[in-house]
Amino acid sequence: MARTMARLDTSLLPPDLLAKLERLELVSRKVFRGRLKGERRSRRKGQSVEFMDYRNYVPGDDLRFLDWNLYARLDKLFLTLFLEEEDLHFYALIDSSESMNFGEPTKLFVAKQLAAALGFVGLCRADRVKLQTIAGPHSLNAPVLRGRANLWRMLDYLNKLEPGHNGPLAEGVRQFCLRNTGKGIVVLITDLMDKSGYEAALRMLLARQMDVYVIHVLSPAELDPDLTGDLRLVDCEDQDFTEVTVSRPLLNRYKRTLAAFVDGAREFCTRRGIAYLMTSTAQPVDRLVSQYLRQRGLVR
Amino acid sequence: MSFINTLAWWQWSLLGLVPIGVVLLYFLKLKRRPLEVPSTYLWSRTLEDLHVNSIWQRLRRNLLLLLQLLMLAMIFLALTRPGWRDNALVGERFIFLLDTSASMQATDEGPSRLEAAKQQIESLIDGMKPGQTGMVLTSSNQSHVEQPYTDNRRLLKNRVRDVQASNRSSDLDEALRYAAGLANPGRSAASAQDVQVAEPMPATIYLFSDGGFATVPSFFLGNLEPKYYPIGQPEPDNVAILAFSAERNVENPLQTQAYGRVENLGAQPADVELSLLFNGRLMDATRVVIEPGATQGVDFELHDIGEGVLELRLDRADDLAVDNVAYACVNMPRRARVLLVTPGNDSLQLCLTTQEAQRVVELRVAEPGFLASEEYQRQAQTGGYDLVIYDRCVPEAQPLANTLFIGRVPKLEGWSAGPLQGPPIIVDTERIHPLMQLVEMGDVRIVEGFAVTFPAGGTALIDADIGALMAIAPRDSFEDVVVGFEIVTVNEGRTEINTNWPIRRAYPVFFMNLVRYLGGGRTTLALPWVPPGKSVSLNTSTPVDRLFVTAPNREVLEILRESTGEFMFTRTELLGPYEVREQRDGAVTQRFAVNLFNRRESQIKPAEKIELEHESIPAEASLEQSRGEGWRWLLLLALLVLCVEWYVYNRRVYV
Repeated sequence: MARTMARLDTSLLPPDLLAKLERLELVSRKVFRGRLKGERRSRRKGQSVEFMDYRNYVPGDDLRFLDWNLYARLDKLFLTLFLEEEDLHFYALIDSSESMNFGEPTKLFVAKQLAAALGFVGLCRADRVKLQTIAGPHSLNAPVLRGRANLWRMLDYLNKLEPGHNGPLAEGVRQFCLRNTGKGIVVLITDLMDKSGYEAALRMLLARQMDVYVIHVLSPAELDPDLTGDLRLVDCEDQDFTEVTVSRPLLNRYKRTLAAFVDGAREFCTRRGIAYLMTSTAQPVDRLVSQYLRQRGLVR
Repeated sequence: MSFINTLAWWQWSLLGLVPIGVVLLYFLKLKRRPLEVPSTYLWSRTLEDLHVNSIWQRLRRNLLLLLQLLMLAMIFLALTRPGWRDNALVGERFIFLLDTSASMQATDEGPSRLEAAKQQIESLIDGMKPGQTGMVLTSSNQSHVEQPYTDNRRLLKNRVRDVQASNRSSDLDEALRYAAGLANPGRSAASAQDVQVAEPMPATIYLFSDGGFATVPSFFLGNLEPKYYPIGQPEPDNVAILAFSAERNVENPLQTQAYGRVENLGAQPADVELSLLFNGRLMDATRVVIEPGATQGVDFELHDIGEGVLELRLDRADDLAVDNVAYACVNMPRRARVLLVTPGNDSLQLCLTTQEAQRVVELRVAEPGFLASEEYQRQAQTGGYDLVIYDRCVPEAQPLANTLFIGRVPKLEGWSAGPLQGPPIIVDTERIHPLMQLVEMGDVRIVEGFAVTFPAGGTALIDADIGALMAIAPRDSFEDVVVGFEIVTVNEGRTEINTNWPIRRAYPVFFMNLVRYLGGGRTTLALPWVPPGKSVSLNTSTPVDRLFVTAPNREVLEILRESTGEFMFTRTELLGPYEVREQRDGAVTQRFAVNLFNRRESQIKPAEKIELEHESIPAEASLEQSRGEGWRWLLLLALLVLCVEWYVYNRRVYV
């Protein structure tokens, strides 16, 4: 595995990808309350054409919502409640730790691409989009964006993201939850290579009753290491090292460990209603978005 | 506290590298290439899984423990110095003495005892360590150095393999003295204080034999460490022919009698069949049953068989085959050629010309003047006579013949005559001597005589008050007899008798004994048979320069007349009849047989010890038991285990 710089000259969203993304929209499996009127159903009872419920009339209610048909039948006054259409909050949490700086392209680049793609879909639908890193200075100043006109701001923010901001996943998610009270879709794009575990972070997101998606990004070198000899493997984040003598049995055992790790994460997520997708940086982003994420119901 | 140096210098040098190696192993860490990875999270979990899940990894920690315990066990075992029985030799110098006598041809052990002994010697040679030297000696009745001291094991083994058995008897004396001479050189010096005496070379002598030796007299082992390994089964089976002869009936030359003596030297009764063959043709056979340790005589009568070889054969397979056949040569009788040189002695002449005497004597009488003749010189120097009797005369030089001097002593060193005195009184006679058998001298009176002084090796035949009155002494292959008194004497021109011996019965008996002993009996063949290896003196009826002897293997050997005028044949190794010819393709002039006839060799039961005059060498139970040490190998193995443990620990070998 070669360590490479995260910055690429090409755009995160090439024009052909943009064209595909325009036709998509983000889909939430849950109904959330947004702050502005958007094309979303909300549990808030408001003014819309979609009936929700009745309640007894009390003096002061808007007389326009009295259901006269029901009064004719029951000789009682009932107020009709309608679902209010609101906008969707879309959050993309990007793991920008040093471990994301591996691969060709780097996992961080792929994460930024995914975040950009999903963010663009949200912007096109006037969703409230916020992309931020889990840790680092950019996690604090991530802009909240709405509307397609803010695409450049989104891309500008993403281009400024650099790897090397190491920190526990749970702490980063906790800070996110504290600073962002709105509910919505949160897509966690990470390699889950946190030695303190990912479970606490995901539980926090679930506790916020968010629609959580986890995109587990790994590089081909992590999936199928091409190593030989006697090595001292040094962790790029904490400089921890492990001495191995690479052999075929060891590599097989590593793959089994990785598969078990992935299965473990998938099962954890599935049990808790978190959509889980494991992908390699070798996968094209457009296929990820239009095919895999569509299957999982994040976009349509 | 003392220490035993158990290693050579180069081994110590290698061992000295071990602590250095141990230190290096301790500090030596496997160089690993550093490689940055996104996270060691999964790798750590992989290794942990291996630790947890792999049976091998579960065993790995135990494997290290096992290896450490194994190493400790080897060290502890090495401290107990385990050893085993080894054929290794103890000492620096070794003498491998191999008995090659006839008894070693016994087949009760291995293909033969000699081969079995050779195999044991080879195994000892294989056990020689660097720095040790060995030599190979063979011994029958003479010893031979097959290989001087060398540390070349291959050379020693080759020499051992080349050793052949002989038909000779056993005599350890010469071999032991040779071996002791190297180990105890001071003993061979003229003076024990001689500082130029060579340093003693202590040696261990490994003797492989069946022990059929006579006691070795006057021998001290000194620095020689003897080890005697008997070869052969404790209860061998052997029936041997110990005697066989054939005598022609003097009165009837057409009749020949053959006598044989057979002894059962085994532990079981033997039912044997004896066959008598003449010139290869079966003439007679007999069957005898011999108890263990008993002797049985057999005799055969043969008629009109002429000249040839009689063979007595034991038709029985036993452990030693060489004593199962015996030979006796039947030669045509030849009268002794006797020359009587006398100025006149009627009684003597009469005694030698009787009918009885004429059967065995071809007498020629001559006067003392004949001694100066050319004919006498030629005959005397070419063995033309078997016996020359000098009556009151002395030749200038002794002839190549036996002699009898009457009243004179020969002109030879060692012979001298005392003053004439008398009358001498005969005190005693040597009755067991063949010359004096049945010769009674008690009633013989002698007027005057002289004491005879004879050379070393001689024997007084008649002792008188004045000294030896008659003596016999050897001279090369002949013998000289001197009578210290005249039979007749000339006094003032008158012949007078000096003794009444001629009228005594002893007179003709003595001269018949003389003719048989010094005339025809000795000159044809000193003994009826010859032991293997013994030299034979051959005479001829014609003055030839060479003889041709055909050995039993049909090999024709040419011998030349010695400077002393006689023919000495020494190559009597093979058992069987030998034919003598004066011409290569001529007729056989005489025959003689070589037989073993040695009870000591035929008694093939291995001796329990070898007797020296002042000590004995007991038989060893088995080959040299030395101790092979194994602690070195255990320590090496422990070191190897240590290396394996280091490898397992450092490499973190996974299956």
